[in-house]
Amino acid sequence: MCLGMVMTTKLNCWEFRDCERGPGTKNMCPAAADTSCDGANCGTNAGRICWCVGGTFCSGQPECDFAQNIDSCLSCEFFQKVQAEEGPRFQLLKLAQGVLDVSGLQSMISHLEAMMRIHERVHSHFDLEQAVKDITDEAESVTSARRSVVFLIEGNPPELRGQFNMRGERIRVTMPIDENSVVGFCAFHNKVANLRDVYEHNQSGPGAPRFNKQFDKRCRCETESLLAVPIRDSRQRVIGVITAANSLKGRFSSDDQWFLQKYATEVALAVEKSRLLEQSLFAARLTSVGETAAALSHCIKNIAHAMRGSAYVIKRGIELNRMDNVKAAWEILDRHVEKLADLSLDLLAFDPERALEAETADLNETVDHVVRLLTDEARTRSIKIEACLGRGVETCRFDPRLIYRCLINLIMNAFDACLPKAGTVAVLTGRTAQGDVMITVSDNGRGMDDRTKEQIFKLFKTSKGRGSFGIGLPTVLDLVKKHNGRIEVQSELGKGSTFTILIPDLTDAC
Amino acid sequence: MSESKGKILVVEDSADEANLIKMILEPEGYEVAVASNGEEGLKKVASNRPDLIVLDVMMPELDGFTMCSRLRESPEHSGTPVILLTGVAKRISNSKYPLDGVLRADAEQYLEKPVKPEELLETVARLLK
Repeated sequence: MCLGMVMTTKLNCWEFRDCERGPGTKNMCPAAADTSCDGANCGTNAGRICWCVGGTFCSGQPECDFAQNIDSCLSCEFFQKVQAEEGPRFQLLKLAQGVLDVSGLQSMISHLEAMMRIHERVHSHFDLEQAVKDITDEAESVTSARRSVVFLIEGNPPELRGQFNMRGERIRVTMPIDENSVVGFCAFHNKVANLRDVYEHNQSGPGAPRFNKQFDKRCRCETESLLAVPIRDSRQRVIGVITAANSLKGRFSSDDQWFLQKYATEVALAVEKSRLLEQSLFAARLTSVGETAAALSHCIKNIAHAMRGSAYVIKRGIELNRMDNVKAAWEILDRHVEKLADLSLDLLAFDPERALEAETADLNETVDHVVRLLTDEARTRSIKIEACLGRGVETCRFDPRLIYRCLINLIMNAFDACLPKAGTVAVLTGRTAQGDVMITVSDNGRGMDDRTKEQIFKLFKTSKGRGSFGIGLPTVLDLVKKHNGRIEVQSELGKGSTFTILIPDLTDAC
Repeated sequence: MSESKGKILVVEDSADEANLIKMILEPEGYEVAVASNGEEGLKKVASNRPDLIVLDVMMPELDGFTMCSRLRESPEHSGTPVILLTGVAKRISNSKYPLDGVLRADAEQYLEKPVKPEELLETVARLLK
């Protein structure tokens, strides 16, 4: 301090008004008690942003808050004093920083609108990776950070795992949940950490978050300011940390912290949704396996019925010297032994947790297996099933067992669509002009309107009434996605539907 | 030529299964006719007047339950014994053939696939006694 310099003390409102209602007093004013604004406009608690707090005793009577009392607050002597003292850093609202004009407020409103859009976007789908990307992109924009990363607690033993892009490279980072890093500290103590300079902060004493320099070495970057906020689930357990690093403004403000806390909630919701979906899909796959098992059990029974009858006729034919019967029964037995051998592929397709195991195989062979398997079922329903096996798919890479299950589901759905009258189901294979492997299943059944088409891949949505649980098509989509493929649906009410599976050929990738 | 022990009509849409039942019954002295669906079965009941009918449940056009019900409604054939062959007792995705439908069909006997030929022969003999 230089001699002659006048010290200006920034007064809180209770000091300015000398109302003896400051912190710790008997009749403490709400502005003195509100700790959420501590530091705003360099004040203690809400002492220099009191117009944002409802029930203050500025005029000796409890006042309404800013929204209702805006005119008298704006003309208040203390308000104008604080505004003059803070200059460009003046904080008008609890959230808004540096608001002196409408454009600043508009900027804040646009951040809030962006947060609402994120909420809508993130919760319109179940893709956790995409949700995290959307949230971190938005967090970087709103907090003016160079980088935002979400770390989730995973693994056994649990650790923090995150990934982000750096100079075109995908960087994966893991941190233990302990005090040896800012992120670990944040998760361990369930506390926010806001560091202006991580390297300077490392000089602080014990109990303070310490930046792990290995992070910068590993990622070949230089971290300066860092804001880390814990991500908590609905039971308030820490499930991860969201960070914002290297603020373009030099340091992260309380507003930035507020926003990041809201984004942490969005991440938590997206994670919980994703985990619920995983559990649902697993249960759905088990039930779907049960359905397929029931269909295959029917086939096995029919095969066993024919084999038992054949064996008896052969034995009795030899006893009675009826060689014509022996020959006929032998041929029937031979056919059914072949059918039984084919069933081994069906049984291998049962594993609900099976990862993609692509192999070079003949797609037409797999399609032919399924069509032959379901021919009996088609006949009992008076449905004609035909396969038109195209060229160019004799050697392509796919997982035969997963595609097998997809086809069973799609064809059984097609059969159901043909009820109650007789119909035709056609299965085609081939390649698109772009080289994708293509399988279509078409029926001339009842078809779907646009609204039904939108719902068919959603779990537990079914238009088929009792007896159907709406789990086949979501499972099919899941299995096709494992191939990096997609499904296109065309349908017209009253005329029928066509489902097309399109899978990029993995041949070149292997 | 020995006298036939009885005329049996087998109504079964699978040619292999129909032939097998025929080859099981004929050597034991039964005269066997075959129909491949319920409609054809009803016509052959009227023309052949069988002593017993072996009827598969899951068939196109007219299933075994319905054919059995129609037989029971006909004064001429309501007394003809029927053996129903059922392949599927419960289906999650297709409730068209529930087990209680078998019981409602009022057949003398139902046998669940895979059927033991000896059991089929024993049942036929018992019902034709």
